[in-house]
Amino acid sequence: MKLFKFSFLFLLLALGLNVHAQQHELRLNLHYSYAMPLGSFKNDVISNNSPRGVTGDLLYGINNKISVGLGLGFQDFYQKYPRDLYPTGNHETTSAVLSNSVQIMPVLAKAEVYPFNGKRAAVQPYISAGAGLGIISFAQYLGEFGGSDNSAGLMLQGGAGFKVPFNATGSAGLSLGANYNMVNYKKNGFDNFNNINFQAGLYFPLR
Amino acid sequence: MTNKHLLIAVLSVCTASFLSCTKEPLNNLTPQESRIYVTNSDSTVNFSNYQTYSISDSADVLDNGKTHKELTGVDQAYIDAVNKYMQANGFKLVNKNSNPDLGINVNRIYNTATGYYDYNDYWDYYGGYWDPYYWGYGGYDYYVPYSFGIYQVTEGAVSVDMLDLKNANAKGKIAIVWNGLIRGEGIFDSSAADASVKALFDQSTYLKSK
Repeated sequence: MKLFKFSFLFLLLALGLNVHAQQHELRLNLHYSYAMPLGSFKNDVISNNSPRGVTGDLLYGINNKISVGLGLGFQDFYQKYPRDLYPTGNHETTSAVLSNSVQIMPVLAKAEVYPFNGKRAAVQPYISAGAGLGIISFAQYLGEFGGSDNSAGLMLQGGAGFKVPFNATGSAGLSLGANYNMVNYKKNGFDNFNNINFQAGLYFPLR
Repeated sequence: MTNKHLLIAVLSVCTASFLSCTKEPLNNLTPQESRIYVTNSDSTVNFSNYQTYSISDSADVLDNGKTHKELTGVDQAYIDAVNKYMQANGFKLVNKNSNPDLGINVNRIYNTATGYYDYNDYWDYYGGYWDPYYWGYGGYDYYVPYSFGIYQVTEGAVSVDMLDLKNANAKGKIAIVWNGLIRGEGIFDSSAADASVKALFDQSTYLKSK
């Protein structure tokens, strides 16, 4: 198996494909996203990972190494906790199954940097950064009773990954990466909805 | 396929998955999981000072602003369950004319339409639907400790109220010393009564006679 992996990598490198930053080209990255909650989000709200997410980046290559544009996405977090007792008043106790549901939709100004672009490489690493709003929908239910709150907070994102072009032009290919997402949410004693997401998808030019 | 067509196809798939892949909490609950059991108690009361109780022989049905007494199979199931767990906790059932220490009312509450009042404050109307004469204390008002929660009863509920009859004359009022509220799917089904009432008693560990 290990031999197969090395052979595959060697083959890719040997092909010597080139990923251009596609100067003055508009490109779309579309990914499936798998996310893991972190910190107080994980400890206090939802500890389950989320396999339900998509991300999409619309990026314009301002030169061979840097693209800038808009980063959008959607990630759905959900967890149902077993029945437990919750103090809901001075001398009031409620027994309920607690459900927490959080949807995060980033709207980010985003940049991707390809530090090694221009060199002939089959695998092109990149780093990315984004800043903007995280549109958040947070629903909490005791049994079937509860409600949701919609808000928007500051969201910062840092990411890294690599792209594997389909052909020598490098204008389309596979994209794999991960992002650390800082999502501000300060309401009702909650602190943030920070998470890390892993993404895999395609990139292709829009002409 | 042009890039434009590819983009439309991909975005359509993404939009469809975006809308369909959200885990909707209310669609992921069984009827049992949908239910909540809420209890309020008067923290100044020591329940071990009470030995006997009597329970209403029918339920008070609060239906969109109108009230009447009824005894259906569901009501009987709730009354039986309350009897079962009261006696399991050491209380003795007596006739209401035998000066019980505690009186217990069982209520079925519906609010399916906008009535002239909607039970937003469950307690405000208590004296209106539970005549204190029933318990032999005509002229007394019901008293609900300020610490009791304000129930937002917007659909349906079953409630069980425990009244302090032992000290009614001394205090000049009938204090509600414990209350249990059951809400959620399937609560107006006889089969839900025992487990629901058990849950109320299980979370009220202080509710024991000597």
